[in-house]
Amino acid sequence: MYSKRIHAAWFGIHFFLITAVCLAGVFWLIAQGSTILPSACRRVRAKAELVADLVSGKRGRSFESRSERHRNVSARRWHPGRVQLFAPNVPSQHRLTLELLYEDGRVEYESPHVRGKTAALRLESLLDRLAEERYEPVREVLVKMLAFSVWREHPDVKKVRATFGAVNPPGMNEFEQGKTETFQPMFSFDFSLRDDQKQ
Amino acid sequence: MQSVVKSPGSQISVGLSPLRKFWQRFIGFLFPPETDTWLAVLRSGLGLQVIVYALFLRSDWHYLFASSGKGLVGREVGEAITAFDSPLIPTFGWLVAVGRNLNMSEETVLTVAWVGLLSAGCLLLLGLLSRPAAIVAWFVHLCAAESGGLLAYGADSFMTTALFYLMLSPLPDRYSFDHWVAKTKPKNPQLLGFWRRVLQVHLCFVYFIGGLAKCLGNGWWDGSNLWRSLIRPPFNLVPPDLLVQFKYALPLLGISICLLEVSYPIFIWLKRTRRIWLGCILAMHAAIGLMMGLYLFALVMIVMNLAAFGVPSAGRRAQATSATTEQ
Repeated sequence: MYSKRIHAAWFGIHFFLITAVCLAGVFWLIAQGSTILPSACRRVRAKAELVADLVSGKRGRSFESRSERHRNVSARRWHPGRVQLFAPNVPSQHRLTLELLYEDGRVEYESPHVRGKTAALRLESLLDRLAEERYEPVREVLVKMLAFSVWREHPDVKKVRATFGAVNPPGMNEFEQGKTETFQPMFSFDFSLRDDQKQ
Repeated sequence: MQSVVKSPGSQISVGLSPLRKFWQRFIGFLFPPETDTWLAVLRSGLGLQVIVYALFLRSDWHYLFASSGKGLVGREVGEAITAFDSPLIPTFGWLVAVGRNLNMSEETVLTVAWVGLLSAGCLLLLGLLSRPAAIVAWFVHLCAAESGGLLAYGADSFMTTALFYLMLSPLPDRYSFDHWVAKTKPKNPQLLGFWRRVLQVHLCFVYFIGGLAKCLGNGWWDGSNLWRSLIRPPFNLVPPDLLVQFKYALPLLGISICLLEVSYPIFIWLKRTRRIWLGCILAMHAAIGLMMGLYLFALVMIVMNLAAFGVPSAGRRAQATSATTEQ
């Protein structure tokens, strides 16, 4: 019976925390305005999200101003809104185009790539994250690393211009009318390799 | 006429009796009599899942998890974000640090981790050294999911969850090699029902919250979300020209998915509707796997559903078995 009580207590705590995290995720989605609920609900939901976050221990710690944004990145990473695939809506696809500028004036276009299809899916997941506001603190670092991964294959490149943007697919009716996807640039970075990094 | 004098203690006990009844019912719900067939399904299914996971990532393993300057984005950023959550969450950085003390390079450590994960998957599939294999698979997969957190997607979190529950369940089951060859028996077979309940309740949470979130999105009611998800690279396995021919079916399918998921916690418990709901959910995941190429996600969800609700509950037979064992 003693063992059963311990297991029952664990069950209660475990699913209480899961409930709090799930509710925080749903309230966050509503507060972000990504649902069909009217905007009047958002303020109430934002407060409810705060409560749920406190219960699940995501906002209980004292934030240092310097690391606050990084902590927020971390706190949101496993949010149910993030984990649930394609809910409430399917996110836009994102693309990172790297313009490789060679010393002799040549220009080539490349994108970060991986070998396997499963890994390609993960790369897509990373690109989708880059577009989100909460990843803004680490965005430049990540784009730089993605650019560097391509740069290693083209060591004689002088400069890299990375352009990141959203790819908007056509709707069903638009597709029938012959429309294709459109690319909407969101930000771009210029990188040049220092001599010490070239070695 | 007899006068009945009630002591304060008896009044409390009368007040507590509904609470005690509730507690007993709750305990009865949490610890139903159960055989280990569901555990065999979960173990072998997750073994297969881990093998497929390791093989799918074989060619990109080092590229995804190497440090900065060698890999895609370097695992340091993902590990730094994880460390903000808690420094106790395992990452590949731990293993690399241990390897450094043993004069092992990062590349060697990552190779050993991959081989360990694949071996753990094979052992789980066979049921050999079931619990150590489950622990190794959970640990290495968690390291991979956390070190490559920025590259993770839904399948990773479900794999971590499923392996965590498997690791804690009373292994080995009677279909495993451990049982046949080494005659190993689980220490707490009475917990079989408890861990199945945990898995069942967890799935109910997953589908209810997923369904609720989908219901709140306008794109699931008019079929546009299905269209967007099916034409979006790298999920665009079905040609859009073919999809357009079914454009009137997409809103119906979208609404069906929302309703199927949000009502899962109700209809999966009712005996009459269980098979229908389970069949629909399995069909949905199979379709996701085949039409969108999300094989790992589809497989882990199918395995979890089959283990939780696919295997018939032991009922009277297990009750009789447990009664005999207790005697």
